[in-house]
Amino acid sequence: MTAPEQAAVLADPGEHRGGTGTARFVLRKLLEAVISVLLVIVLFFFLFRMLPGDPVAAMTRDRVTSPQQIAELREKMGVDKPVLVQFGTYFWNLLHGDLGESRLLNNGRPVADMIGERLWPTILLVGSATLLAVVLGLWLGIRAAWRRDSLFDRTQTGIALTLWSVPQFWLGLMLLVVTGGLFPSRGMHSPDAAPDVLSQTLDVLHHLVLPCVTLLAVFYAQYMLIMRSSLLGEMNADYLTTARAKGLRDDLLRRRHAVPNALLPTTTLVFMQFGQVVAGAVTVEAVFSWPGLGQLTYDALHGPDLPVLQGVFTVLASAVVLMNLLAELLYRVLDPRVRTS
Amino acid sequence: MTTPLLQLHDLNVTYAVGDTDVPAVRGVDLTLAPGGTLGVAGESGSGKSTVAMSVLRLLPRTAKITGEILLDGEDVTAMKWGRLRAVRWAEASVVFQGAMHALNPVRKIGEQIAEPLRLHPPSGKALTDAEVDARVAELLTQVDLPPGRAGAYPHELSGGQKQRVMIAMALACSPRLIIADEPTTALDVIVQAQVLALLTRLVAEQRIGLIMISHDLSVLAATCERIAVMYDGQIVEEGPSTEVMGSPKHEHTRALAAAFPTVGDPVSRFAPATSTPLPPEPPDRVASGEPLLAAENLRVSFRDRTGKRIDAVAGVDLTVSRDEIVALVGQSGSGKTTLARTLLGLQKPDSGVVRYAGKPVPAGGAGRKAYRRQVQLVLQDPTSALNPAHTVYEAVAEGPRIHRLADERAVVHRALEAAELRPAEKYADRLPHQLSGGQRQRVVIAGALALEPSVVVADEPVASLDASVRGEILALLLRLRRELGLAALVITHDLGLAWNIADRVAVMYRGELVETGTVEQVLLDPQHEYTKSLLAALPGGTAQRRTVET
Amino acid sequence: MTTAETPRQIAWARRRASLARTWREFAAQRTALAGLVLLGATVLVALLLPLISDESGLNVTKATGQPLSPPTGEFWLGTDNFGRSVLLMTVWGTRISLLVGFSAALLSVVIGTLIGITAAHFGGWVSATLLRFTDFFLVLPSLILAIALSAVLPKGVGTIIVAIGLTAWPSTARLVRAQTLTIESRPYIERAHALGGGHLHVIGRHVLPGVMPLVLANTTLVVGNAVIADATLSFLGVGDPNSVTWGLVLESALNNGAISRGAWWNVLPPGIAIVLVVLFFTLVGRGLETVFNPRLKK
Repeated sequence: MTAPEQAAVLADPGEHRGGTGTARFVLRKLLEAVISVLLVIVLFFFLFRMLPGDPVAAMTRDRVTSPQQIAELREKMGVDKPVLVQFGTYFWNLLHGDLGESRLLNNGRPVADMIGERLWPTILLVGSATLLAVVLGLWLGIRAAWRRDSLFDRTQTGIALTLWSVPQFWLGLMLLVVTGGLFPSRGMHSPDAAPDVLSQTLDVLHHLVLPCVTLLAVFYAQYMLIMRSSLLGEMNADYLTTARAKGLRDDLLRRRHAVPNALLPTTTLVFMQFGQVVAGAVTVEAVFSWPGLGQLTYDALHGPDLPVLQGVFTVLASAVVLMNLLAELLYRVLDPRVRTS
Repeated sequence: MTTPLLQLHDLNVTYAVGDTDVPAVRGVDLTLAPGGTLGVAGESGSGKSTVAMSVLRLLPRTAKITGEILLDGEDVTAMKWGRLRAVRWAEASVVFQGAMHALNPVRKIGEQIAEPLRLHPPSGKALTDAEVDARVAELLTQVDLPPGRAGAYPHELSGGQKQRVMIAMALACSPRLIIADEPTTALDVIVQAQVLALLTRLVAEQRIGLIMISHDLSVLAATCERIAVMYDGQIVEEGPSTEVMGSPKHEHTRALAAAFPTVGDPVSRFAPATSTPLPPEPPDRVASGEPLLAAENLRVSFRDRTGKRIDAVAGVDLTVSRDEIVALVGQSGSGKTTLARTLLGLQKPDSGVVRYAGKPVPAGGAGRKAYRRQVQLVLQDPTSALNPAHTVYEAVAEGPRIHRLADERAVVHRALEAAELRPAEKYADRLPHQLSGGQRQRVVIAGALALEPSVVVADEPVASLDASVRGEILALLLRLRRELGLAALVITHDLGLAWNIADRVAVMYRGELVETGTVEQVLLDPQHEYTKSLLAALPGGTAQRRTVET
Repeated sequence: MTTAETPRQIAWARRRASLARTWREFAAQRTALAGLVLLGATVLVALLLPLISDESGLNVTKATGQPLSPPTGEFWLGTDNFGRSVLLMTVWGTRISLLVGFSAALLSVVIGTLIGITAAHFGGWVSATLLRFTDFFLVLPSLILAIALSAVLPKGVGTIIVAIGLTAWPSTARLVRAQTLTIESRPYIERAHALGGGHLHVIGRHVLPGVMPLVLANTTLVVGNAVIADATLSFLGVGDPNSVTWGLVLESALNNGAISRGAWWNVLPPGIAIVLVVLFFTLVGRGLETVFNPRLKK
């Protein structure tokens, strides 16, 4: 959660030194990811089932519940059994795709089903925003670093720093107020849209604009700052002097030599920010009632419906772990120093 | 008379630092005939690299150039950017210092050699891919690398191979001039000799003019027809190599020449270049006393990246006696630094013992702390061996404080004076960055002396110092031995250093001591092949010329 | 220098000089200096608020204005749906925000520094385990963890501080670890070992003094993040329901129809307040970083 440039400057290069065969590397990373996902499951089990003391009391907090309902719930969740048995049951069910049931929201629907139907809107939102943010951020970052201290650099860095200070949900609220009905403010479908594919797609895109821009605005700024500082770190490299001595034009110097080197640390950091994009999506969906996992979280928080929260967070955190795995594998493909040994 | 290949007229370069202009080069005039070779010698900060880089206007934006740089009669300073880009590498190319950073780490070396070929096609029209590949293969063959290495990345090559790639790259467009900026500085003695020989041969064969920059006069003498010596931005002496080397006129040239003594020359035996005379050898000196520090069958191994065990130190026996300086000689990777760390107890040996005064050194606790007072360390680079935030006083007092010595101020004072930082008060509250390199190394030595040790282990104590300071630090070590009986184990790659101050030499190669004996025995009558090749690799002029049968 | 000075005096004089140098370098950056001045003013106002303003206007039952009234002479920034002054709520919101921001940042920086130094200094399995631990939490979105914590713990300011503090430390830990590794790879650490110095000596004399400046710069950045996290948690409804916070004002603007009725004065002031406070901290933090982190210098 700290300034991304800092991370770029301090990311230690020694860390990516593997040197063992590719197969062994992939296996090791896979194993690490599996352990991380297990840890995620344990962590959220502990948070939602153990930390509140009596999970049933916590689940029914601020709610009118009959003693009979409470007894039923205790029985169902096996609260009276030893912790390990409870976790064993939970984990066994989880392996079978059963994340428990929502008691208070939608009256006992399976959490897994609820997550399943909310997954795609979130992927659409997060995916489109990340893609645009990466393209925009890297491009601006490269330009800003190359013309360090120019008007362009100072303006862009200033804007990025300001956006870095903006809470996403507030940016969303402001966009709602400012655009004043130009774009839909809630959900991802209008009831009056024509049923054909084109109209439906356009309708979804129309709804997507505001949430996507909100998410994009903060993250492009981070990517830009990362790219800028990582390129600045390469600017004094000796190999650039060599390239300059060869008589390369400035733009070739940048495209062929400086940027490919600066992209390496940036790639890792962009992927490492993915967790924050997901967290950002939660608040943005809440603002725009975008029917994804964030909206589900928001509703569950007001229950509070702890099984739903536990399920959603476990899924989100696991997704983040997998993205990180992807980043590490990608890095190995990109950096020859890691690939061969 | 033909046009000179390169002519510098009253060249001045200043760097803008803050609001002031700091002169780096002042009124330099140089001429190089086509196909000629010129060496530019000088210490760091003498302006020699600035001169070299100004030829292709590769200086940072803060630099201001005045005067004329005529490359083949055309003034480089007046060129437009387009013309300058066309001239770069096609007319004059550069072999940079430290090839590890001068090559782009994420591009294959073949592509990097091909880049100038595509930019400056020799015949004026673009080359086909096949032509480029053929030329790259030809260039790699010229520098004795298999053409198949074109697909390798820089990190897959050794330091010497990378420097060969740099040379191949420099030759790519058949330039008229090559500027070599400290081309062999980071390389081992033997590799350095190979790279120098290669560069000299190719330049002579292809009639290319060469300007070589170095701090090492002997390297230049071995490769160049003429030498110019720079000091403080000016050329203080210029002439044919043999004259500059053999009868230097300027005192700075003399200091540079003396810094690299001739092994076998009796004049420089026990006589490092110093401005203050050395005390005479004490009359009652015992030739070799009881061993003070001893390694017995010492073995240290590391796991490399693939998990294989590598013996860094493979069964070493070594002794250092009171009142004796032992030089441990070897190239980088020979295990000499690991041996030193193990002797100091900073590294645990796999097997074998380190004995101090006959008793094994305890592995920990108060016993080892007491041992630390007896055997002290002096590191290679004094700049990084001192905490930049600590004053000289604090740096020297660090040891006494750890060992809770009484009367700290007097101890520190004595140590500073012993390390020839006099008067001690003048230096006490300075920070490392306010001192020169030589003074910093004296502070490190004072820090060791503050514990009144009986042995000092010095790891390349002068390798990162300027030539003129080198002799002074070596003289200090010799003086401490003669006056205090302080024993020293000096680790070095430099045979001249051993000749300068050591009593005995141990030659280390791949973790083993291949040859041990008195300096005269080992350096004048080497028995082992490796010692012979080390001596043969000394740049021409310093080694006693001898043929080596390999 | 006269010889009469004791080493201690010399050391203090040097420290003062180095502090003065740091200040000069910091103050030379105009934006950083501006950030510091404005931040100081904000903190001062927040502290003196009970003396210069009346808290009772925050109470729903004592609200005097019309619901959702646009800015007027009486209510410069209009009113919310209960008729409370938005200006008053925004100004009072500063107190909770700064309290949460500073406390949570302190908590997370202390945890992060301890873990970071331990992970770097002691090799072997301790370091490996801590590194994995840090990396695990670094990858997980800290906001999600903070939401989870504040959802299960009793609602209140304390919970928010703990929730943010316990989840925001990994970035500090990583930064401190990297810096510690950098310092410990320097030869003067080897020299300290050779002189006979132990763990305490090396950490106390070399590592901590080397790490603290960066930690300080990092702390100001973490405070900014904690302020945003606090607002976000309040907005999502897991904050302290009994105090007036910026996040809560915005939440009620969304859910009580202020937005749909175009009542921009309910949205703009608290948001601007957040952005400004965070921006001040970021400016100061970046300024400190430029001074302390040699790798960011030109």
